[in-house]
Amino acid sequence: PTEPFALIICINPRLMRHLFVVIDCSRSMEDQDLKPNRLTSTLKLMEAFIDGYFDQNPISQVGIITTKNKRAEKLTDLAGNPKKHIAMLKKAVDTVCVGEPSLYNSLKLAIQTLKHMPGHTSREILIILSSLTTCDPANIYEMTKTLKSLNVRVSIIGLSAEVRVCTVLTRETGGSYHVILDESHFKELLMLHVKPPPTSSSSECSLIRMGFPQHTIGSLADQDAKPAFSMSHLDSSSGPSLGGYFCPQCHSNYTELPVECKVCGLTLVSAPHLARSFHHLFPLDAFIESPVEEHQRNGYDFCQACQGELKDKSIFTCPSCRSVFCVECDLFIHDSLHCCPSCIHSQTAS
Amino acid sequence: MKLNIEGLLVYFPYDYIYPEQYSYMLELKRTLDAKGHGVLEMPSGTGKTISLLSLIVAYQRAFPLDVTKLIYCSRTVPEIEKVVEELRKLMEFYAKETGERNNFLALALSSRKNLCIHPEVSSLRFGKEVDGKCHSLTASYIRAQRHVNPNQPVCRFYEEFDAVGRQVPLPAGIYNLDDLKDFGRRKGWCPYYLARYAILHANIVVYSYHYLLDPKIADLVSKELAKKSVVVFDEAHNIDNVCIDSMSVNITRRTLDRCQNNVDTLQNTIQKIKETDAAKLREEYRRLVEGLKEANVARETDIYLSNPVLPDEILKEAVPGTIRTAEHFVGFLRRFLEYLKSRLRVHHVVQESAPQFLKDIFDKVCIDRKPLRFCAERLQSLLRTLEIADIADFSAVTLISNFATLVSTYSQGFTIIIEPFEDRTPTIANPVLHFSCMDPSIAIKPVFQRFQSVIITSGTLSPLDIYPRILDFRPVTMASFTMTLARTCLCPLIVGRGNDQVALSSKFETREDFAVIRNYGNLLLEMSAVVPDGIVAFFTSYVYMENIVASWYEQGILENIQRNKLIFIETQDAAETSMALEKYQEACENGRGAILLSVARGKVSEGIDFVHHFGRAVIMFGVPYVYTQSRILKARLEYLRDQFQIRENDFLTFDAMRHAAQCVGRAIRGKTDYGLMIFADKRYARADKRGKLPRWIQEHINDGSLNLTVDETVQLSKHFLRQMAQPFRQEDQLGLSLLTLEQLESEEMLQKITQIAHQT
Repeated sequence: PTEPFALIICINPRLMRHLFVVIDCSRSMEDQDLKPNRLTSTLKLMEAFIDGYFDQNPISQVGIITTKNKRAEKLTDLAGNPKKHIAMLKKAVDTVCVGEPSLYNSLKLAIQTLKHMPGHTSREILIILSSLTTCDPANIYEMTKTLKSLNVRVSIIGLSAEVRVCTVLTRETGGSYHVILDESHFKELLMLHVKPPPTSSSSECSLIRMGFPQHTIGSLADQDAKPAFSMSHLDSSSGPSLGGYFCPQCHSNYTELPVECKVCGLTLVSAPHLARSFHHLFPLDAFIESPVEEHQRNGYDFCQACQGELKDKSIFTCPSCRSVFCVECDLFIHDSLHCCPSCIHSQTAS
Repeated sequence: MKLNIEGLLVYFPYDYIYPEQYSYMLELKRTLDAKGHGVLEMPSGTGKTISLLSLIVAYQRAFPLDVTKLIYCSRTVPEIEKVVEELRKLMEFYAKETGERNNFLALALSSRKNLCIHPEVSSLRFGKEVDGKCHSLTASYIRAQRHVNPNQPVCRFYEEFDAVGRQVPLPAGIYNLDDLKDFGRRKGWCPYYLARYAILHANIVVYSYHYLLDPKIADLVSKELAKKSVVVFDEAHNIDNVCIDSMSVNITRRTLDRCQNNVDTLQNTIQKIKETDAAKLREEYRRLVEGLKEANVARETDIYLSNPVLPDEILKEAVPGTIRTAEHFVGFLRRFLEYLKSRLRVHHVVQESAPQFLKDIFDKVCIDRKPLRFCAERLQSLLRTLEIADIADFSAVTLISNFATLVSTYSQGFTIIIEPFEDRTPTIANPVLHFSCMDPSIAIKPVFQRFQSVIITSGTLSPLDIYPRILDFRPVTMASFTMTLARTCLCPLIVGRGNDQVALSSKFETREDFAVIRNYGNLLLEMSAVVPDGIVAFFTSYVYMENIVASWYEQGILENIQRNKLIFIETQDAAETSMALEKYQEACENGRGAILLSVARGKVSEGIDFVHHFGRAVIMFGVPYVYTQSRILKARLEYLRDQFQIRENDFLTFDAMRHAAQCVGRAIRGKTDYGLMIFADKRYARADKRGKLPRWIQEHINDGSLNLTVDETVQLSKHFLRQMAQPFRQEDQLGLSLLTLEQLESEEMLQKITQIAHQT
């Protein structure tokens, strides 16, 4: 059993994202051109978005803001736990949609938090705007300048039509602006924002410490086991447990990763999380496709990953370790794993 | 790029060209080849101006003897400036491509108000004041007085120009109004007179319609322009009204009162001069005997309020004896004035022709036709002799004398209508004498006769064949061009019914109908919820708008609309309107969204463009027919029927539809722009109305966009706006609606291009 260890890692904004999603809850969200209505449909898609977002950016954070009646309110604060966001989204279905949205107030609320985020992380705002008007207390173009100087990227998905102020806002801050055609197009556009946006080369990189706790499974029989409360569930009523992830610095117990240690502030992640984040920077090379007959002559009959028989017409070879995979495993490796299992296996073996 | 248009090398200062531009140039070249007139309709925003300029400049270079000058007439000062800028671009392209400085001279000309650089005069606010003040500094007798009395103020810029400005021609180049002013300041020359002098040898002149059409000015400015010129009237869809306005005179009781004062002043001045300098009056008398031609030896500064067109033969005649002496003439004016006053004391409407009027005036006060004809000229001569500096004060008497000359010169095409009160206020006496021209061809005839090619062009000239008929000329080409589009960026919808199936119409019988007004309000409310940024709504008249808006207010519709967008209203007050317009644009800019309620035929409908987000939808409430009860209109319709065999209804529909097309055309100003055009009246669905819309709009009206309900309209609009909001890049247009030189020269494209022009 190896000791839990900490590492210093070079981080750039594409690895660590801070995103505020602003959801319009104004009167126009009651429109029924998306079924059953715009609000319900949006919230449902948002759940999928949150899941996808944390899947692709495990060490990033997200926060949700709603705007209605000329005001903006935080639904959830910037945090890394998808469950909490999704729970709040589920609750928000019953929101009454009234009044006009306020772009200015929403942006202001978002940058209040975002401006404290360190420079090596990205600052993003995604607005889902259904209304065609915004009710602002001050000139929105001043706000655009502030956003630009703070390096905040604003993207907008419009649910009804192209609005001038959105075009300008997104163009100035380097974001994207799209208007949906229908529900499936909406989903497509939303999922575009799951992947981190391309950053300019000038963005700063910095070194931060991260801990890689190992999961231990304690049993009562083990004399060394020390039962501890999970730090993330202190408020809930669950009792102490023997196993979990222990912070390599202060040995606080956590049941889930990734998380920021509540005691010493160290970011705790696991290697696959980082790999998944890294794949945007260093994508896994595409495997070489070749007809199956060639290989059968050489005696390779099984996929390296699933160990199944190669039955399809073509097979895929990893360019670095020359292992052979079937179509399904190739998809799985490129879409979810982002690293070649055979390569990793050979590395650990050596 | 360099184009080959039927053997003519045309330099075109852009890398890409729209297919319809090529087609337009082709038609234009054929017109010039035939040395005839043309009527060309091409949608706004497709680069009409640059096509025109490119081709005509190329033609001028290739055939310097056939076409010596281009006279480009536009409506407003900003439009004039725009043309000059395009021209500058073209000339820079020429210089770059050919590597030589070409000796082209092009300049813009406008009124003194826009060109004066005299520190005191130019600070005056109204054009009339500037003209008057200028005259008081530059008139020939003022300048003559200066020899005697050196303290007499004169304009040093004019003096300087007069001394040396005429010897060296203006250096070649492109001059807009500011360039002229800068040049004038550098040299110390008056830019206005410099420009007026320079147009005689310029290759291209850009100025307002009035310099050619209004006989009072045309005679001064454009008299000596060469016959081998090409004249272009841009935005010419209203040219007939401009012609008519320039020949019509309205006289109210106030005019007559002011005229009375003028005549008194004249009388006193004559009396004074008689005591001091009787020789001067005798000298004038002598000149008048010799004939007007002599008196008319133009000293350019004197004649800014010149006479209406006088047939040449009159100028050769001597002024009739009855008005030759100054006192007799003043007496004559008094009699004429008294007669007019008596005519205005009527209690019922009188309509008569010019010969009837002349007979009546002869019977009542024994004024003959002949002295009347000389009235305007005689007055000018008198004002000169009396050395009255500030001519602006004498506008009333000038108007009366112009009227006298016009009424006695033209027996055909004019009518006199005396109304004791306005139709809307039948209890308040406010008598007006309308001397109204009914035949636009009278004013424009000299233009057609004099110049070898006249091109009439605009975005909305449909139906094309009516213009040659009402302007009485024979064009060699008539063509309407469509807009080739990579995506359907305009969406005309005809709303015929409300959601409750009530027929929507602004026709007279249903005008007060509560259900119609409510449904119109509903339409605007629904649209305000789905259209982003700006909506422009047009009503048929101010009165109708006021009624509807008041009733919407009572029904609470306005309040609901204001939740979606702010509301601004065009009024008859120009300052108020421009304020509303400014705020409207601000609201569109910062995302609040706004609606502008305005009136067809108003200032907004004619001159203001609503590009991109400033006009995502135009709603036309009703068919903008003219006020048909007007007697002037009735007289004109009658005249059209008798003289040109145009049925009343045809003309009215034509007139209404061209204004409707103007209104809805405000929203689309280019191929990257997009907008909804909503015609809210069931009558638009009829073939006779629809058929009179320009072809580029008609093309996009299909059976699915006729007689819609409000709900259907909203659904279609939503769909359209979402489609249009999808990304649209230049590459999408390339090859379809935007061509490179290679694409243009492909066989297939040339084939397509021939179909763009629709000959009638």
